[in-house]
Amino acid sequence: MSGGAKAYFKAIHAIVWKDLSAELRSRELLSSMLVFALLVILIFNFALDLDIKIRSTMTAGVLWATFAFAGTLGLNRSLALEKDRGCLDGLLLAPVDRSVIYFGKAISNLVFMLLVEAIVLPVYNFLYNVNLFHWGFLVTLLLGSLGYVIVGTLLASMAVQTRTRDILLPILLFPVIIPVLISALKASNGFLQGLAVADILPWINILIVYDLIFAAISFVAFDYVVEE
Amino acid sequence: MESTPRWLKVLDYITATMFIAAILMVFFYAPTEAVMGAVQRVFYFHVASGWVGMLGFLTTAVAGVVYLKTSCRIWDIVGLAAVEIGIVFVFITIVTGSIWARPVWNTWWTWDPRLTTAAFMELIYAAYIMLRQGIDDPDRRARFGAVYAIIGFVSVPFTFMSARMFRTIHPVVVGINQPGSLGGFDMTPRMLQTFLFSLLMFTFVFADLLWRRIRLGLLADKAAQMKMKRNE
Amino acid sequence: MFFQNAPANTINYMIAGFAVIYGVMLAYLISLVVRWKKLEREVEELKEIERKGE
Repeated sequence: MSGGAKAYFKAIHAIVWKDLSAELRSRELLSSMLVFALLVILIFNFALDLDIKIRSTMTAGVLWATFAFAGTLGLNRSLALEKDRGCLDGLLLAPVDRSVIYFGKAISNLVFMLLVEAIVLPVYNFLYNVNLFHWGFLVTLLLGSLGYVIVGTLLASMAVQTRTRDILLPILLFPVIIPVLISALKASNGFLQGLAVADILPWINILIVYDLIFAAISFVAFDYVVEE
Repeated sequence: MESTPRWLKVLDYITATMFIAAILMVFFYAPTEAVMGAVQRVFYFHVASGWVGMLGFLTTAVAGVVYLKTSCRIWDIVGLAAVEIGIVFVFITIVTGSIWARPVWNTWWTWDPRLTTAAFMELIYAAYIMLRQGIDDPDRRARFGAVYAIIGFVSVPFTFMSARMFRTIHPVVVGINQPGSLGGFDMTPRMLQTFLFSLLMFTFVFADLLWRRIRLGLLADKAAQMKMKRNE
Repeated sequence: MFFQNAPANTINYMIAGFAVIYGVMLAYLISLVVRWKKLEREVEELKEIERKGE
């Protein structure tokens, strides 16, 4: 049992490591996500006229919209690469459980997403002088990104196997992910505004339950998504 | 060519009779509501179509689970049939709701949880249709459709909950001016009877349409298979 | 009586509402029938070709 579990985690680790080292060499995924994220923020700057007054209430919304848009870019790229280079088929031939591939891809996607956030937040902080480094905000960021990536990885691995793959992912992902975006946005906003934790807790609970349920569904469903 | 099964014909007649009876009840049996007036009569079929929409999407999710377990083509056909009916009836619900809201809430649209959820549901199942259209291989189309139908259906209650909390936690709106409280009314016994009968009638409509749509799906399947055979 | 207002006159909205309900349901029924007829014709044609081929 423990040997099996060890092999399982080793396989996940191998996939994550493969993705990260490939990204370290090319840097195309992170750089495109990052530039895109900054562009979205700049567009919001003019679209919403982020002056001092509305800045405090709009920050969470702007950031989550940015991450949601930049995230689809990363997810699509990350799984399209696997598909195009035939890596997905190669991974399927490997003598490992298929959920390993799912968790491996989900974890590396999460890492990319968190890296982008880790760069965007200080930049936002610098541009607008809003202090974002609040523990609750960071926890929300992690839970929200987790939910986003859990569903996003599964849907992206479906989307890249269709004819209309480039346009399909956001259409599939956004209506399903909307509870994550709403709760993450409200929780982030609550922490930034300094609301009492008790008021914010329901949102955090929704995020946690959503993450757990969808992780379980994706774990089971991924088998059917990569089946040949 | 293929003759209609006798039970389907019977179902057609029962549904049509009930439909006429329900219309008569809505217009002549149920009293006019005291505040809102005539427009309240839309309510009976409005809620009933929402019920049919939910039945449709539930059926699709269940069919999706069964398809993944059995890989039996019929469940994919059932799933698509139910989604199509669900989309049509949720659309009816949204539009009639707007028409009702205009005189009662004085607006076509609010971001009330039910409205929000209905809107996102339509988007989810529009995405479901688009996903299917992007896949040529029927087996893969069925699998992906099933997975997406399950994920979409599970996300619906989360959307509802977060949309509801979105407003209630918001400080300004709490208590007064809550749109949900406006336009409520007490149902008289006759109204209640009409309402329950409408629900029952629309359930029959759902069953009838679903059966018809499944037969259409089966026929389409047959045509596709014959075409494949010819091309070989 | 001050409080006894007549019900609001919302008959136009009611007509619009029922027009939507009947209209959409009718449109869907027609689409079902049209698709069914089209498929039936297609299957007939395919059968015809099959018969000729044999």
